[in-house]
Amino acid sequence: MSDKSDVWQGTLALMVLKTLESMGSLHGYGIARRIEQTSGERLSINYGTLYPSLLKLEQEGYISSEWGTSDNNRKAKYYKLTRAGRRQLARATRSWEQTTEILARFFAPAQES
Amino acid sequence: MRLRQLRGWLARVAGFFNHENGEREFAEELECHLQMHIEDNIRAGLTPEEARRRAIIKLGGVAQTKENHRRQRGLPVIEILTQDLRYGLRMLAKRPGITLIAVLSLALGIGANTAIFSFVNTIALRPLPVASPDEIVSLRNETGGKVSMAFSYPNYKDFRDRNEVFAALIGYRFAPLSVSHDGINEKLWGYVVTGNYFEALGVGAALGRAISPDDDQHAGAHPVTVLSYKCWQQRFGADPSVIGKSILANGRSFTVIGVAPQGFYGTEFIAAPELWFPISMQGEIEMGNPWLDRRDVELTYVQGRLKTGVSVAQAQAALNSIAVQLEREFPDANEGKRVVVAPPGIMGDAMRGTMIGFAEILMIVVAFALLLACTNLANLLLARAAERRKEIAVRLSLGASRRRVVLQLMAESMLLAVGGGLIGLMLAFWLVRLVVGIKLPIDFPLQIDLHIDYRVLLFTCLVSLATGVLFGLLPALQTTKVDLISALKDERSTGGSRRSWLKNGLIVLQVTLSLVLLVGGGLMLRALERAQAINLGFDPQSVIELTFDLRLQGYDNDRGREFQKRLLDRVRTLPGVESAGVVDLTPVDLHFGRSPVFIEGQTPERIINAPRAMANRTSPGYLQAMKTRLIDGRDFSERDDENSPRVALVNEEFARRFWPGENPLGKRFSQGSPQSPLMEVVGVIEDGMYATLSIDPQPYFCRPILQAYSGSTTLVARADSDPQKLLAVIRNETQQFDPRMPITSRLLIEKMSMPLMPTRIAASILGGFGLLALALAAIGIYGVMSQAVSRRTHEIGVRMALGAQSSDVLRLTMRRGVMLTLVGVVIGLSASLALTQLMKRFLFGVSATDPVTYAVVAALLAAVAIVACYLPAWRATKIDPIRALRYE
Repeated sequence: MSDKSDVWQGTLALMVLKTLESMGSLHGYGIARRIEQTSGERLSINYGTLYPSLLKLEQEGYISSEWGTSDNNRKAKYYKLTRAGRRQLARATRSWEQTTEILARFFAPAQES
Repeated sequence: MRLRQLRGWLARVAGFFNHENGEREFAEELECHLQMHIEDNIRAGLTPEEARRRAIIKLGGVAQTKENHRRQRGLPVIEILTQDLRYGLRMLAKRPGITLIAVLSLALGIGANTAIFSFVNTIALRPLPVASPDEIVSLRNETGGKVSMAFSYPNYKDFRDRNEVFAALIGYRFAPLSVSHDGINEKLWGYVVTGNYFEALGVGAALGRAISPDDDQHAGAHPVTVLSYKCWQQRFGADPSVIGKSILANGRSFTVIGVAPQGFYGTEFIAAPELWFPISMQGEIEMGNPWLDRRDVELTYVQGRLKTGVSVAQAQAALNSIAVQLEREFPDANEGKRVVVAPPGIMGDAMRGTMIGFAEILMIVVAFALLLACTNLANLLLARAAERRKEIAVRLSLGASRRRVVLQLMAESMLLAVGGGLIGLMLAFWLVRLVVGIKLPIDFPLQIDLHIDYRVLLFTCLVSLATGVLFGLLPALQTTKVDLISALKDERSTGGSRRSWLKNGLIVLQVTLSLVLLVGGGLMLRALERAQAINLGFDPQSVIELTFDLRLQGYDNDRGREFQKRLLDRVRTLPGVESAGVVDLTPVDLHFGRSPVFIEGQTPERIINAPRAMANRTSPGYLQAMKTRLIDGRDFSERDDENSPRVALVNEEFARRFWPGENPLGKRFSQGSPQSPLMEVVGVIEDGMYATLSIDPQPYFCRPILQAYSGSTTLVARADSDPQKLLAVIRNETQQFDPRMPITSRLLIEKMSMPLMPTRIAASILGGFGLLALALAAIGIYGVMSQAVSRRTHEIGVRMALGAQSSDVLRLTMRRGVMLTLVGVVIGLSASLALTQLMKRFLFGVSATDPVTYAVVAALLAAVAIVACYLPAWRATKIDPIRALRYE
């Protein structure tokens, strides 16, 4: 496990939003698994920290939840993006891209012309 | 973004109230998560047990996850707070006795403070019941450092008309009234006021109209009056048809033109008139004594409304430039007179000093009482904390933050403080009701209109909170600074002076407090004892007095004299009367005034520089009735009337002061002005007390009431058996002479308790709290010493095993307690020296540094403290070294 990176709070919210955007409606376990898979099993999510994060997003109105039934007939709580969540995701994506681009320039080999 | 955060908070508030639901729902969600994970793991080929184990590990601890979720869901601060409070309540309920003592002593402290504060609030803080009260100032008349409240009326008019700094300047005067209406006779107090009075104060009328400048045009031409709201309610049954009605005041008919608004009681905090008259009627209200035209009679109180933007200093400067003009124009009356601008509200110098002085002492005493309650509280919390040392250490070592533990400990002290505050408030309500209900035996409309208003409530809240925070925080901080390891190992802390500074400090504080309070109480007791020894110059036992005012009843001088003579003749024949006389003023009367006297051959350059003496008017027989000794010469006789030469009696001090070393008999002096007729001294009487109890003898003289008629009359009679019964008989007899006349009657002895009342009250309060403080200090010392001894059992055992004698052990263990006591005594003595200066006024000549009191109190304290130290120390000498060494 030690070779897997931990996920820090701010980015976890972003990943949750992105995951819900691509998957539509999904339950907590599914979101966690999906994030791990997407990272190619390089990220390890402590599932315990996922739920407060989901709750916070819901309290702020970015996602909504309702009880539904899973594939193997289990009662589960499903989360999905709201309109505000979509907007927030777009905003966060832009700012993330900007940040990574700036950082990339710092780490890229000097391109003196 | 902001909006989102707000939405988040709202959701959390909702979550806070929907705790149960959220909890259940999340448990389900987690359960479902686990099941899915386990199923996945099984599909991946693990055994069910292993699958479950891994899933739980991955989830990171169900309890912790739930806790994190819970925190996000609701409002953790409030949840923790309610938890702490609930826990605190439970802890307090576990030891109801100690809790009760702490709450009650706090309640006592807070209640006493609240009650006294409401008094201070009344006399100093509450705004006057007028429009824009902060613009109103009071003018004081200063002559060579002596301050009086009153001005001459012509001077008032000049100040009013010449100044540029006041929007209005008003004048008024208290007037005693004899009022008859609807067949009832009452002795009331009213104001005569200038025509601009109501207008300047911005006070209208609840009914009818107020007095206006039109009612103040020509002397004697405006017989109108305005009733106070209370007067209208209580005496006229709140009847609206009272407007236009005629009432009889001081023998003259006045038309009621209006009723003042509810709550308007004039511009003094502690006195309330019932009727207002235009000052143009002063000559009629104070029959036979008109002073509106006299620059040498200073009776007008003056207040003003400052113009916007004018400061007090500017106003004072402007008025004093007018005072300089007046001094130049009328040097005889105005030499050296200046004006001081002061806040309004407390009348009369005599009252003012006493009330403020008394309030000061009470404030300090109750502050000390509260401090005492607080030290008690802090001690309780410290003891409680010591019991919980281990529990707290466990919690700290398990990762609770210090802040969290401190907050929890404070929740307990806050609960105590709030409980104490609530009960204290009830106590204050009760005290205030009690005080308001007291009827002082004085002839004055004293109104101490105490109530608990928002200022008082705020004060109580702040005091309770400050108490809880301050005296809860210190023990909490100290307790949480534990050495975890030794605490967990259940080792007795080996002390260290640093950790017990708080305990030591509390003991020193308690010793100091009790010393100061006991010294104060002791001084007051000495003062009472001394006051008993003051020569009154008369014997109040078995003396009854009846007071009425013939002038106010419309009697002219001849009829009045006739009335007095007939009444006196009648009373002297009544069975049970030993002797009787009539007199203008009896001892302790507030009206006692000092008159300027002009000794033949010693005339001063200016009238205002003349020496003053207490003046009275007596009939023959008064000296016998009062049992006042005649030292030399003779008493007045029936022949000392208008047609015979003017005569006077003087007391020894009068003779000493003005004719030192000479025989006063046959000497002559005049009263009021050098032109007044000279009186010859025919007798010398013993010194005594007049306006109030005082150690310094006052010069005093009296004139025969037959020569110097006074309509205000007090009939004095000495009963040979039951004075109470005689009082009723004489009262009845007098009323038959004039059925319409208001009469007040009482035993002289009742009135005599007045001057000693502040001292007596202060002595019992100080003494009571002092003893309480002493008891608390003794308990505190005993507790600390016992604890120290049991902590050092091992060490003492070793010492004794090595050959220490019991005297060595005694010395060793007692040292700390004795040191603490000594420190407390030294601080207490110096604090007492400073604080008792405030009590001087009430000490009747006992020095505020009276060495006997100080020595006795210090010795008493030291003795109690040493006993409290000795008992634990003595127990220490009984330690069996073998058992002590085995211990641990």
